[in-house]
Amino acid sequence: MMLDTLETLCCLEGVSGGEDEVRDYILERVLPCADEIRTDPLGNLMVFKKGAVTPEKRIMLCAHMDEVGLIVTSITEDGYLRFDQAGGIDRRVIIGKKVFVGPGRILGVVGSKAVHMTTAEQRKKLPEMRDMFIDIGAKDKAEAEKQVHIGDLAAFDDRVVRFGDGFVKAKAIDDRVGCATMVELIESELPCDCWFAFTTQEEVGSRGATVAARSIQPDLALVLEGTTAADIPGTEGAGRVCLLGSGVVLPFMDRGTIYDKDLRATLIRLAEENGISWQTKSMIAGGTDGSVVQRSGAGTEVAALSVAVRNIHSPACVAKISECEDQLKLVRLFLAEMAK
Amino acid sequence: MELAELTKCLSGLAGPSGFEESVREYISSYLHHAADEIRTDALGNMIAIKRCGKPGAKLILLDAHMDEIGFIVTGAKDGFLSFGMLGGVDQRMLPAREVMVLSDPPLYGVIDTMPPHVLTAEEKSKAIEPDKLFIDVGLTQEEALKAAPQGTPVVYAAGCDDLGQGQLCGKALDDRACAAVIIKAFERLADQELNADVCCLVSTQEEVGHRGATVAAFGLEPDIAIVVDVTHGKTPDGREALTDCGKGAAIGIGPNINTALARQLIALAEEKKIPYQPEAVPGGNSGTNAHAIQVARTGVVTALISLPLKYMHTPVEVVHISDMEAIVDLIAAYVESLEV
Repeated sequence: MMLDTLETLCCLEGVSGGEDEVRDYILERVLPCADEIRTDPLGNLMVFKKGAVTPEKRIMLCAHMDEVGLIVTSITEDGYLRFDQAGGIDRRVIIGKKVFVGPGRILGVVGSKAVHMTTAEQRKKLPEMRDMFIDIGAKDKAEAEKQVHIGDLAAFDDRVVRFGDGFVKAKAIDDRVGCATMVELIESELPCDCWFAFTTQEEVGSRGATVAARSIQPDLALVLEGTTAADIPGTEGAGRVCLLGSGVVLPFMDRGTIYDKDLRATLIRLAEENGISWQTKSMIAGGTDGSVVQRSGAGTEVAALSVAVRNIHSPACVAKISECEDQLKLVRLFLAEMAK
Repeated sequence: MELAELTKCLSGLAGPSGFEESVREYISSYLHHAADEIRTDALGNMIAIKRCGKPGAKLILLDAHMDEIGFIVTGAKDGFLSFGMLGGVDQRMLPAREVMVLSDPPLYGVIDTMPPHVLTAEEKSKAIEPDKLFIDVGLTQEEALKAAPQGTPVVYAAGCDDLGQGQLCGKALDDRACAAVIIKAFERLADQELNADVCCLVSTQEEVGHRGATVAAFGLEPDIAIVVDVTHGKTPDGREALTDCGKGAAIGIGPNINTALARQLIALAEEKKIPYQPEAVPGGNSGTNAHAIQVARTGVVTALISLPLKYMHTPVEVVHISDMEAIVDLIAAYVESLEV
């Protein structure tokens, strides 16, 4: 169930600032189960669901709906699209990839001149993003303008593949995995009352979460994320950050947040008591909505519970399916603990 | 099958240099009804012949290659497969790339890359050396070595899609699009009363040095050869390319090509109003099978007709169907024009 939800969510397009398709889908799923639903000018979707008990503290779970992608900045006279990034992308992962542009999902490819025509120097360096282009097969500017517009967002290829010993490849696992966990929770009986914030624009600076936290005003928040795994050959020790197959990730800090020690200790205890493997990040890298949620209003206790993702911010994110399921399992245990 | 549909089918087959079995089998069975003879030689070339039944008839050889660039497994580290290249791979295409490992059964894989969060700007601007890249098949070291031992070939996991108006985008269009062209030309000619014998040669191992065509041309001893391969179409960053996609068949002119035959093809294109563009081919090596065929045995009158293609040797090669149709028309017109 969790995996089906994750795969469905990964196929939807929701580049930062254009999360509508993801929000519409989630809204349809949670509508029959929610006790209160709010949206706001940033496009956040906030869902409240009553549980068996009402805990002293107001609890908020948080996952972002947006994904990294591209944004069309101009159209050339001969019908090619110039673009910039929406969210942090290593430009090495977009060259020669398929993308889908705008609401019409127009197929395009990020082209580059053939390797045969490059100099040895050019083969070693990547073109700057401003020198790359998307080819949608338009013969000139006028034909291109009939299908796409400046400001259109472009998302990566949405094919999902399960492979190897329990792995899944998809775009946008960061952070549809957190969204999937929250959808599954909303559709189940909860041990205690809980708010769920499906936020927008995390990848461009946690802009959605900034206002969602002010709207919900939680005392305590768990950020559910997909996080950077660098566990590939050639990377040693701490440089690997976290490893697929070593369990859910409970970071002590990242570039935006020093996480609440007591909250984190509770999560670690619950994981260990229930046989759920966990790890921490061995490098201070990346950030989450936790940074703005923690400093919202008079302050919030915040912890993060993440899934390790290889090739994050690329069209070919890879996660271990059992660890996506463990994220859901550990959040359930946490809510049960809060009900005590 | 229509030209575009056949091209899509051929593009989707896996056949890197030296491992072309599935492509050969598909084409052999496709051409079975049109040919008088079908055979395979020691290098795996697919040879289909239509005899005109007239004494002293010349043999016209049509050539396109069936192999595509790819990879070959050289070992495994921590369960990730290391690989070498089959043909001129553009190493800039590799990070976060989906591949198909041609083991039995085939394995899906992703070429992993580091998360951008832990890289410096300097690191992100450099192409990654292929010996630092590995294929993630989601298996342990032991499982990976067993499932995909050294010598297992690998290709890009990509299909072929419609792009814009009348264009195709996919892997291995170099040179399967041209294979589709000569197959369709052969089919059309096979229905007619001709004054020459026609051979459709879909050759192997072009990408590693025109090896299939070298022996096929020796064995077949053609009088005249028309080689059909792709050439570079102009792109925004590659204005130096000599042809334009959508402007017709590119008729090669240069030392590697018989001048009289090239002139004859141009005159025919003019007469029959077939869209074409002359393409200068400097030097003695066109980089195609024409290089090998021209000097086979005691020499072959050889022409080169090229299909303009963008982004050569990537999984997102782009061609115009109208250019392919122009080449089919030109080949058919040429063979039909031959007198006894």
